[in-house]
Amino acid sequence: MGDIGRILNTARDAILANLTAMNVTGSNVANVNTPGYSRLRPDFGSIGVFNAATDQQQIGVKITDIERLYDKYLDAQVVQQEQYGAYSQSQLDVLNNVEGIFNESTGGGISDLLSQFWGAWSQLSTNPSDVTTRDSLVSVSQSLASMFRQKANELINTQNDTNKEISNDVTELNNDLAQMADYNDKIVQIENSGGTAADLRDKRTELLRKISQIVDVNYYEEANGSLNVFISNGRSLVEGTNVWNLQVKVNTNNASFYDIVFSDTPNEVINGDLKGGKLAGLIDIRDTKVVGYLDDLNSMASTIITRVNSLHSSGYDLNGNVGGDFFSTASTSARDMQVDPSIVADVRKIAAGTTVNTDGDNASAIAAIKDDASLMGSGMTIDNFYESLTSRVGQDVVNAQNSLDHQTSVMNQVENQREAVSGVSLDEEMLNLIKYQAAYNAAGRLVATVNTMMGTLINLGIDTAISS
Amino acid sequence: MITRVADQMKFNLLNNSISNIQNANNELMIKLSSQKQVNKPSDDPTGMGKILNYRSAKAQISNYQKNVDSSKSWLSTTESNLTSVNDILNSIQQTVISQSTATASASTRQIAADSLQPLIDQVLSLANAKFGNSYIFSGTRTDTEPFSAAAQAAHIDVPVKASGDAYTGVVSLDASAAYTGTANNTYAVKIVTGGLPLGATPYQISSDGGKTWGIVKTDLSGIVDLGDGVKLNFTGGAGTFAANDVFYAHAYAAGYYNGDGQELASEVGKGVTMNYSTTGEAAFTSQGQGTADIFQTLNDLKTALQNNDATGIANQLDPLKKAQDQITRYIAQCGTRTNSLDTSSSTLTDMDTRITGLTSNIEDADMAKLITEYQTKQVALQASYQIASNLTSNSILNFIR
Repeated sequence: MGDIGRILNTARDAILANLTAMNVTGSNVANVNTPGYSRLRPDFGSIGVFNAATDQQQIGVKITDIERLYDKYLDAQVVQQEQYGAYSQSQLDVLNNVEGIFNESTGGGISDLLSQFWGAWSQLSTNPSDVTTRDSLVSVSQSLASMFRQKANELINTQNDTNKEISNDVTELNNDLAQMADYNDKIVQIENSGGTAADLRDKRTELLRKISQIVDVNYYEEANGSLNVFISNGRSLVEGTNVWNLQVKVNTNNASFYDIVFSDTPNEVINGDLKGGKLAGLIDIRDTKVVGYLDDLNSMASTIITRVNSLHSSGYDLNGNVGGDFFSTASTSARDMQVDPSIVADVRKIAAGTTVNTDGDNASAIAAIKDDASLMGSGMTIDNFYESLTSRVGQDVVNAQNSLDHQTSVMNQVENQREAVSGVSLDEEMLNLIKYQAAYNAAGRLVATVNTMMGTLINLGIDTAISS
Repeated sequence: MITRVADQMKFNLLNNSISNIQNANNELMIKLSSQKQVNKPSDDPTGMGKILNYRSAKAQISNYQKNVDSSKSWLSTTESNLTSVNDILNSIQQTVISQSTATASASTRQIAADSLQPLIDQVLSLANAKFGNSYIFSGTRTDTEPFSAAAQAAHIDVPVKASGDAYTGVVSLDASAAYTGTANNTYAVKIVTGGLPLGATPYQISSDGGKTWGIVKTDLSGIVDLGDGVKLNFTGGAGTFAANDVFYAHAYAAGYYNGDGQELASEVGKGVTMNYSTTGEAAFTSQGQGTADIFQTLNDLKTALQNNDATGIANQLDPLKKAQDQITRYIAQCGTRTNSLDTSSSTLTDMDTRITGLTSNIEDADMAKLITEYQTKQVALQASYQIASNLTSNSILNFIR
């Protein structure tokens, strides 16, 4: 036997369930642009048993669960990919800067000045006693030396900037780790008390991506819902609500470089344990690439200084004296290169002659250093060496760019896969909305119908009473 | 396989493709506006290396070209001076022939002697000519006037203490010094270790102006013999020597010449140096490479004319012939050198043209190709914009009333 009251109950269940479902749809629509948001899906479940024999029950509906749709393997891939992308990006940023330092496409750099420098010696050889020719040699040499100083300083500045960035990133990482511990705490609390922490979990995954951009991390989730994060050497960054902070420490060999250590073990440098993420990228570029460029610049400067000085001191100046240093030998590194002050003060001290008479053969010999292929190794002249250095910088930029392009396309692919599972589709939400609305309307109509039926029932009684 | 398309995916896709096209567009615009294919090393790493290489090669070529040009100017001055000298010698030869015959008298010879003097002066001024600030016939001693008007005996200049020397004493010529060399030369002493007393100071000597140095000797207290009769004395200033202090003395063989026997050279190609100067020694004297002492011959002729010495006059015919041969030889040498410089010059020009072509192949933008590429990107960009503008209009929302 039917029961008119039970129909009302069922209609109420349906109205409430679909209302809740619309609420969920509302949340999804609202968060269509929220990064890291995983869409929610209401799970409808029937309740009650229908048994025609006992005629006791009615089947209703209720939202059994609000499901957070995500694929933890895809999330893991996204987190993994972040560290590769950030590694290449950080290297490319620094290399683009370095490329600017070595860009001589419009002339006016070291290559140009080297040509002028050798040319000035050659000119002097044909006119060894002319003071104007000597003046112009000194001025070209000063420009060359100052260009070497400028380029070396720009490279050193790049290293210093990288260093500051490393320090900032470590600070940022420590804040993120504290935030991670906080999320762990809250998620465990909420889920222990039977709630769902979908929103916090999304935020925690997003934070994990951010951490992964800075340093390559491994992680696993404990049974209670808290996330443990550690780096590749196995040391933990976060375990539940406990945090191990990193800090920077001045390098023992190079006071201007920072090393990375755990705050509680400040003597164990972990630079080498970082394999991915921005920190590893920056350390690698600072310690290998930029150091390599600077070394090459220094070795060029030092070869020029030593070779020119050695020939210069075997010749004679306009006063009949044996030549002294042409370039100052206080330091042979590129950042300190300069023409010897005694030459600047008196251009007659340039030793252009191979005899005390004013022949220009020594100037010729110095100009011929440009053709000496035994100076820089692998049969390279000084000019060739600089050309290959410029090519190498260009190639490094191209390589970093290619690897970033590759990482980006992989990242896009993985992101798309993640979005396909977790992203909000407005069309889908709208269709759901129509579906829920239809069910809601139908349940409403059910109430109205029951209402009419109730009226009929009541009127039945009145009619009987009147007629009787 | 993706089965669900979330809204973010559509936006991300468009975002990525538009920014990719814009990036490519930006690169193309840089290339189009600079008209260069390579604007930074990463545009073409090996190409950039080559461009720098070609540029420095071009700079070298233009430098060699400068050297060729200035050497050629020097040679043409030398050639025209030597030709003038040759003309003068020709006319003198006429005089000698006519004045050596019996028809000539004491008075015609005196007149010839008087008219010979200006010709000698003319030869002297041609031999003492300058190119810029340099005397062309004085070898590497370009600041010394190469010829004196009167013959000089063999002599040695007062030794020079180079102005930067630390030595406070005096260096002088020993009384017994007498130059026995056959050509002009510069002798030098170099201190090996400073700060020692005269007697203990190690030094080296050089008989080629300091180009090469002999073995290390010790003791500067007595007569220091530099060879060929050049002897120096050092007095006072004990202990003030510094390493590399240089002392030198120019020594001259008998005759008119004050320069030296070294030719000037300049670099006219990679590893190619070419001597471009003719020394006065070779062209005008009998010292060193020279065989005919022109000024001696002319002055002897003048004396013979003045003395009305017919045999003496006739005797100068042969030396005069030799002198002309010598001058002609060096005129010819100037011609040969100029020709070979011309060859170098055209080789350099060819190389320059070739390198310009090579640079252009790497560096210059192919405008037609770039513009086509640019237009292709424009089409792609417009398509992306079109999709973007339709992205939100294609929605189920349009159909829900």
